[in-house]
Amino acid sequence: MIDVRGLIKRYGSNAVVNNISFSVAEGEIFGLLGPNGAGKTTVISILATLLHPDGGAVSISGYDVTRQANRVKPMIGFVPQDLALYPTLSAFDNLSFFARIYGFKGKALSDKVESSLDMVDLRNRAHDAVQTFSGGMKRRLNIAAGLIHDPRVLFLDEPTVAVDPQSRNFIFEHVEKLKRAGMTILYTTHYMEEAERLCDRVAIMDHGEILALDTPKKLIGLLASGLIRVKLPSDKVPVVAAGARDLPHVREASSQDDVVKIVTDDPLSTLPALIRLCDARSAAMLSLEMLEPNLETVFLHLTGKRLRE
Amino acid sequence: MKGPSMLNQICALTIKDLRIFVKDPAALILTFLQPLMFILIMSYALSGLYGGGDRPIRFLIVNQDQGRQAAAVIKDMQTIKSFALETTWKDAPLSRQSAERLIIEGKRNLAVIFPADFSAALEQGPGMQERRTAKVIVIADPALSSQFVDPIMGTLNGFIERRSFMAMVPKGIDYLYEASSPVKPRNDRDAFKAQAERAMEGGLSGKENKPVTLEQVSPPGMHVEKRPNAFQQNVPGYTIYGIFWIVSLLAGSVLREKREGTFRRLLIAPMGRAVMLIGKLLPFYMINLMQLIFIFALSKLLFGMTFGHSVAGVVAVSLAVSACATGLGIFVAAVARTEAQLGGLTVLLLLGLSALGGCFVPRFVMPSWLKAVGLATPHAWALDAYQDLLVRGYGFAEVLPKVGVLAAFAVLFFVIGVWRFRFE
Ligand SMILES: Nc1ncnc2c1ncn2[C@@H]1O[C@H](COP(=O)(O)OP(=O)(O)OP(=O)(O)O)[C@@H](O)[C@H]1O
Ligand SMILES: [Mg+2]
Repeated sequence: MIDVRGLIKRYGSNAVVNNISFSVAEGEIFGLLGPNGAGKTTVISILATLLHPDGGAVSISGYDVTRQANRVKPMIGFVPQDLALYPTLSAFDNLSFFARIYGFKGKALSDKVESSLDMVDLRNRAHDAVQTFSGGMKRRLNIAAGLIHDPRVLFLDEPTVAVDPQSRNFIFEHVEKLKRAGMTILYTTHYMEEAERLCDRVAIMDHGEILALDTPKKLIGLLASGLIRVKLPSDKVPVVAAGARDLPHVREASSQDDVVKIVTDDPLSTLPALIRLCDARSAAMLSLEMLEPNLETVFLHLTGKRLRE
Repeated sequence: MKGPSMLNQICALTIKDLRIFVKDPAALILTFLQPLMFILIMSYALSGLYGGGDRPIRFLIVNQDQGRQAAAVIKDMQTIKSFALETTWKDAPLSRQSAERLIIEGKRNLAVIFPADFSAALEQGPGMQERRTAKVIVIADPALSSQFVDPIMGTLNGFIERRSFMAMVPKGIDYLYEASSPVKPRNDRDAFKAQAERAMEGGLSGKENKPVTLEQVSPPGMHVEKRPNAFQQNVPGYTIYGIFWIVSLLAGSVLREKREGTFRRLLIAPMGRAVMLIGKLLPFYMINLMQLIFIFALSKLLFGMTFGHSVAGVVAVSLAVSACATGLGIFVAAVARTEAQLGGLTVLLLLGLSALGGCFVPRFVMPSWLKAVGLATPHAWALDAYQDLLVRGYGFAEVLPKVGVLAAFAVLFFVIGVWRFRFE
């Protein structure tokens, strides 16, 4: 459905999207994960025909997004990261405006607007100005506006930023409902637990590049049963890393700056052995972390950075 | 679902912006009430200056003259329609003191005082004896401009000179007769005098058939029914001023849509950029036309404004000046990058153009270099075109060249605006 090949976007000499490729199957929810500034919004803007790429090719349902934008536009819906609504108009007027833009008229128009308002549970506030809505209500309306024309492909750019838990749950359930209805969804977030819950596959992005791309399960599988990170004086890092590979249940041990990272099938057996190893090599442990396997940890493992600090 | 039609999209965009407009009280005040308020205040304030309006120039008259001559001058003054003379205040005759007090209190600003010896001075006989002079005193509020007072002084002077000449003629004839033939008998003298007076009648003494009269006419081709009053000067000026505030609304709306991200939503929708632009211009063009209808209709209702002979002309000028205003709006929207920039820029631009274009102060009072600069504003052309129709009585064909200039301004603004326009 979506096919991205060698995509590049530069601002000046700075490549904010640097040669990335992925494809999304019809009916799939695909997550783009990454910290602030990773390039998620840039990618989604290119896919949604808003920005022109500097290299590579992007197609949706076989149509090239730059050269055949007119074919692509009716198929795609976009829920921008920032609210994009007319604050002084009512929810009803906002939605009927966007519906009219997509060609709805007369009875079909009012039916569509009303069912959209029902869908996001705003029927009773339909005629109030959007500026009087709570943050969560605005987000819901923002989503309804992106869906007003029943697009086949939906781009959701961080739909849960600054959203209360109630609206957040509402959004999750809604996205799941859309998936069941067969919609293809590209979802960006920097909340890993959202991606774990919703996405069929995720791409982890940083600095405009894709570091890993797979199902959440497989990505988490990279970590076996857990990740141990131990910080050491830098001269001791190589010896401890080498020794750690032979410890029980260890799948993989590597170093990143002054940290030794150990992926293990059984953290509780590996840990005492690691402590003995450091002791034997007279390496003083400056800090020690045992992390459960999840996407958050995968990201830390891949980049050495935490998603939110 | 069939593909959306461009026309429906333009309609949707237009209705949307009109809805936003009517929900914005500040915008309504700026575009509708502001010009109306200026028209009201300025017209009442300046009605004395323009004259011919429903408010005449008021004089307090204090007549201390013991003869008939001051009364004759006052009668002459009463023949001027735009003068209103008051000889009493609250049913009591005016004195110099009471007139002075009224001026000090700001209730009136002009008083004319005829002295007790006014007739005596006018009627004194010719000859070599000591001349008496009487002083007519004009008390004027110092706040009155000399442009206002000087013509009034001139008029008054004219009346007094005519009276004094007429008063002296009989005495002069007497003197001439006696000086030339002192021996003639008395009844001969009366007959000669009557003859001389008859001979000069209508001529020097100015009774009937004055040899020289003044007639006020308009330049050829202008079909003026009456002189413009303050409203006819001010209504077009402040209407044009008000029309151009659309620049602030239009450019503000564009920048707001960029900031709020609604433009991005539209860019993703299956809609051409031309449709987006037309959909942005049309509602504001319509607001301009509504402003014009609103102000003109109220001016007719409230002040009995007349709109000349050519409805087509007024419509053509209105359409053209609105196009200029919306065009300038898209131009400013393209140039201003932030809303803060926009605020300062538009206020400066709008006030500057209106002032140069003669919306506040008529251009005919400006020095010629400033007048020339004013021609670079659409305001000057629009104002001139409206006054051609409203005041000078021209028709459609005669204002067409000015409509053409306005259209050229509009095209220029549109072209530059659209060329520099950024959708993001
Ligand atoms: N118009 C622009 N000009 C220059 N640099 C830009 C522009 N837009 C984005 N960038 C840069 O591109 C990089 C990627 O930005 P992008 O908005 O795609 O990140 P993101 O992953 O969506 O981040 P966030 O989680 O904060 O939304 C950032 O470093 C940003 O500063
Ligand atoms: Mg973003």
